[in-house]
Amino acid sequence: MRYEYTVETEDLAKYYYMGRYVVKALDGVNIRIRRGEYVSIMGPSGSGKTTLFNMIGGLDRPTRGRVYIDEVDISKLDAYELAWLRNRKIGYVFQTFNLIPVLTALENVMLPMIFAGVPREERIKRATELLQRVGLGDRLYHKPTELSGGQQQRVAIARALANDPAIVLADEPTGNLDLHTGLEIINLMRTLNKEKGVTIVTATHDLKMIDVSDRIVYLRDGKVQRIETRAEVSAEYEE
Amino acid sequence: MSVGEWEIGSIELPFSEAFRITLENIRKRFVRAAITTASIILGIAFMVSILMMSQVQQSATGVVEGIRAYQYWLLFISLLVSGVGITNSMLIAVAERYKEIGTMKCLGALDRHILTFFLMESSIIGGIGGILGYIIGLIAAIIYGAMQFSMEAVGKALLSVGLLGFNIPAVISLLLASVILAILLSIVASLYPAYYAAKLNPADALRYEI
Ligand SMILES: Nc1ncnc2c1ncn2[C@@H]1O[C@H](COP(=O)(O)OP(=O)(O)OP(=O)(O)O)[C@@H](O)[C@H]1O
Ligand SMILES: [Mg+2]
Repeated sequence: MRYEYTVETEDLAKYYYMGRYVVKALDGVNIRIRRGEYVSIMGPSGSGKTTLFNMIGGLDRPTRGRVYIDEVDISKLDAYELAWLRNRKIGYVFQTFNLIPVLTALENVMLPMIFAGVPREERIKRATELLQRVGLGDRLYHKPTELSGGQQQRVAIARALANDPAIVLADEPTGNLDLHTGLEIINLMRTLNKEKGVTIVTATHDLKMIDVSDRIVYLRDGKVQRIETRAEVSAEYEE
Repeated sequence: MSVGEWEIGSIELPFSEAFRITLENIRKRFVRAAITTASIILGIAFMVSILMMSQVQQSATGVVEGIRAYQYWLLFISLLVSGVGITNSMLIAVAERYKEIGTMKCLGALDRHILTFFLMESSIIGGIGGILGYIIGLIAAIIYGAMQFSMEAVGKALLSVGLLGFNIPAVISLLLASVILAILLSIVASLYPAYYAAKLNPADALRYEI
């Protein structure tokens, strides 16, 4: 079954109640992300990017509105089904890499496959291939502390792809990397997006992301300010 | 099970994998594990030495005095203190791993898998603490007995049967009692921290910066 939209949000809102104050981290967000798209979410600090990712990624419940992943309304899922969604449908990449520190690169990539019940032989084979694909074929048995930031992020990307997800959510994946390494990571994600057809959504304040994105969603104070396609952005640059 | 077009498959964590990851956790976070273990060792060593010393006294004097009420009371308090120490140490272990717990949940872990990781860890630590506590407590009792009475009385006491109602030599019944009690104590004391970890909302857990 192929779905036209990997992600759809409908009047999505998340409010945090802090005593008498209400923080409207998201306030009526409507976006649709097509299968295979590479979308960047841009916005200043506090604009709601991480909150949006938490809602799309099934990590937190919205105050109002709906999220559809592959046309399924995820508010209808119970705890078990949500775990399954996170395991099979979504891959996560974080600013701080978040590898499991006691496990090797290979074991980190295999972990989602363990939860998915993939047999050991196949786990090793697939995880090795993924690590080779991201350029770490010679670092399989290294622990996270024995890897550079850029290498750790490559492991995280391989891990995000472990169960062939519909979508990879990357929250400021280059935030802790230097310019050059950040560019490498961005290009790697773009290549994998093209190669595997996996939908990628990244949050960023990084202007380097613009070049590789199909569309850019500008977020401000929890609302979508505007959405631009790459053609439009390039045109702006030429002016 | 299916939702919309999805066939919801199973989410698993085989015992062997959980065990392997737990051992790595203990190895890599040795200092934290050692602090928790120390708590157990103290409680168990105290218990073993009290029980053994009264046994030595018995075989030396021939008077069946048993264990006095205040000693039971001391024993109870020492195990309680030991339990509180474990709970405290495990709560810190959970706080140290907030981000890891959040990440595990992103990768598909169920609440009960997080619970399994922490309880497995505390059982292993409990078992190790029980054995070490037993050894230390026994050595203390042997030294005490040899100085106060004689090596002969100590030897007789070690092999005497009937301690704690087991029909086996005291050296063995004490070991069994130590290990079983230490594991139970460790698990009970870790229930709250483990449950707390398992129930963490992944978004909150990931937000947490150490
Ligand atoms: N758990 C929470 N409790 C209270 N307020 C929160 C919570 N999480 C987020 N917020 C608030 O919601 C708003 C959006 O936060 P969010 O983390 O989504 O921003 P962001 O765009 O990811 O920012 P950054 O670029 O700094 O990561 C902020 O004002 C933040 O203070
Ligand atoms: Mg953020």
